Amino acid sequence: MVQSNHTHAPRPVPSPYTGRQDIDLDVVREMLSHFTYNDHEEAQELILSACQEINEHFGWVSPEAAEIVAEHLGTTTTRVFAILTFYADFRTEPRGHHHMLLCHGMSCYVMGSNKLVQTMKDTYGVADGETTADDQMSVQVANFCLGVCDRSPVVKIDDEYHGHVTPESLTELVNRAIEGKHSMQENEATHG
Amino acid sequence: MVSVKPSEHLTKLNSKDDFLAFREQARQKWDSVWNGSATVVSVGVGSSSIAKGALEVLEQVHQVGGDVIVREVSGNGAFWMEPWVEVKRPGAQPIVYGPLTVDDVAGVIAGDRNDLAVGVRGDAPEGDIRPLNEHHFFQHQNMLLTRNAGVIEPDSIEDAIARGAYDGYFKVLFEISQEEAIHEVTASNVRGRGGGGFPAGIKWESGRKATNSPKFIVCNSHEGEPNVYKDRHLHECDPHRVLEGILIACIACGAERGYNYLGGEYPLGLRRFRKAVADAERLGLIGKDVLGTGKNVAIRVRTGGGAYICGEASALMYSIMGVRGQPRTKPPRSVEEGLWKRPTVANNTETLANVPDIIVRGGDWYASLGTEKSTGTKLMTMQGPSKLHGVVEVEMGVTMNHILNDIYGGMREGYTFKGMQTGGASAGPITENAFERPIDFDSLTDIHGMLGSGGWVLFDEGVCAVDMARYLTAFSRYESCSKCVPCRLGNPALVEILDRIRFGRGSLEDLALIRRTSKHIIELSLCGLGQVAPVPLVAFLDVYEEEFRQHIVDGHCKTGTCPIAARPHVGADLATAAAD
Repeated sequence: MVQSNHTHAPRPVPSPYTGRQDIDLDVVREMLSHFTYNDHEEAQELILSACQEINEHFGWVSPEAAEIVAEHLGTTTTRVFAILTFYADFRTEPRGHHHMLLCHGMSCYVMGSNKLVQTMKDTYGVADGETTADDQMSVQVANFCLGVCDRSPVVKIDDEYHGHVTPESLTELVNRAIEGKHSMQENEATHG
Repeated sequence: MVSVKPSEHLTKLNSKDDFLAFREQARQKWDSVWNGSATVVSVGVGSSSIAKGALEVLEQVHQVGGDVIVREVSGNGAFWMEPWVEVKRPGAQPIVYGPLTVDDVAGVIAGDRNDLAVGVRGDAPEGDIRPLNEHHFFQHQNMLLTRNAGVIEPDSIEDAIARGAYDGYFKVLFEISQEEAIHEVTASNVRGRGGGGFPAGIKWESGRKATNSPKFIVCNSHEGEPNVYKDRHLHECDPHRVLEGILIACIACGAERGYNYLGGEYPLGLRRFRKAVADAERLGLIGKDVLGTGKNVAIRVRTGGGAYICGEASALMYSIMGVRGQPRTKPPRSVEEGLWKRPTVANNTETLANVPDIIVRGGDWYASLGTEKSTGTKLMTMQGPSKLHGVVEVEMGVTMNHILNDIYGGMREGYTFKGMQTGGASAGPITENAFERPIDFDSLTDIHGMLGSGGWVLFDEGVCAVDMARYLTAFSRYESCSKCVPCRLGNPALVEILDRIRFGRGSLEDLALIRRTSKHIIELSLCGLGQVAPVPLVAFLDVYEEEFRQHIVDGHCKTGTCPIAARPHVGADLATAAAD
């Protein structure tokens, strides 16, 4: 028999940004309905959190979603966009089917992450914030630290962390992530 | 709003006696778990161990089952032994095993994998397994803030209370006055852990004296530096300690609302902190008429969006207010006019996490730790090619030699020491000649070094000094908020000069140009980011000038990092062009 002190605890790993998603405005409205406030000051404090949540769920924030945020919190779309374009976490364009966080923290830099940044540029033609032409992989070069420094340089593709990455293993990881999706589709096709 | 639900079984405590009874209950529960007849299996789950499969290990522990109590604790700072599992068998001390894989779990719980044992969490050996504290990584630490790391379940307020959480809060609510509380903090001489080193007691005193109301407390948990994860660690391992620090500050300064501003970089820490707030609210430790004292305290959790500049206090407050985080000129200081133009006291997470112990054990006790001018302990992190990695807590005044060689085990095989970057992206590197200096807030300043937030980055001979200086300058360029001109235009100019050198098109005049441009940026920028942005570059130039010259004069990068090979010599003309 397994006893756990709190059986209701949610799984602690958040899995934002995975996969390409179009923005369903009803979902946005539903999310925002949980953002309640008592006065205008509190409403303004919620703008960033609201954008954050939408961004984490869909991987980006569209102008329409920004408009709904502005309406709900009693401000203007311009102001919401001013925030979206200032803070590095936000994206105003959809991500690829896969998303890579390439850690460029100091530890990863010292251990060679700039070679990985270069590999992504040379092999796939993508820099920070860009998506490959076939929409398969978008890259975010993390200007902070993913906190897995004993394995640096580190990349996180979708939900999975990979440590001690070299330019060679990086291309392998990217290809595998992209092909993984393809082969899954092929499987469905053959068995469907 | 991501809602984190409080634990259902908690009920509101209405008085002092209610709290004492609850604490007694929590302690008994704690004792019964550790002295009971069931085996207790704890899995260290933190953002660093999740990356190595700790969640899968946790799931496997549930699967293996048996008559065991499964606990999800946090990481304990020792990255090198992750993922780890701690097994406490009836009548024995808890033994920690790691690093392990899913396949090892069953054997570890059954007790036949002593080859994976790292140590005993206790004072005496267990068979041939030595105590964990005898391992050099733990031996030299003085764990005060992190004493609950890997011990309590961060999601359980009862675990925290059983281990002493909210005792300091209890004291300021019922036993001592606001003045006495601030007196303890002043006596402790605890200084701002975010890097500034400003004494917290002075801030609190001016906060208390401010007459405008309402007043606010802001906990700055935004660590945007590319090499620091100490606040993330604190939130993940002991969120109640951070929360208690904020609550004590609220009571002592007479603030009715506390904010915790977290970066978006650590979702797990954020979730655990939200859970802590939800539980404390349900218990009545936050809210109206706290424990029948008539005092009101509210807590709001706000998240940033990944802008380094929001670590600057005024930018942080703008960010909370829902606009771009761009610093403003001071005065007025934030204790006079901060959040929503109200008096606001802003402290770093680590500073506030020190407060509960200071209140409980007294400012004089705290002042006896560390050095005379920098008291207490400091969380530190080591990155780069060292043998071990992780978060450690040491007393102020230890030497770099001690930190690197005794705690982290020195350089990894096959790497040769070149330097140690200090103070994140705000200071310069130190070399072995500074290794014997006691480290505190002030001891490294004369060589452009800085304790800062305690993040050390080791780099070896394979790293090019010019390229690393460019990396650090490019970081500041990227993170500049673009409000004031020297920082907005100066940093890109510096990067341009460095790129010229990296591409083999630099001239010797560029070195003077770097110094001149840096001086402009340092002297004319509005906020702390701009004022220190070129410091790493200038320091690299001081320490490794020979290497810069090699790039320019010999057209040679000895590490092979820089794209220097093709070298049409344009030199001086380009330099003058950039200066204009």
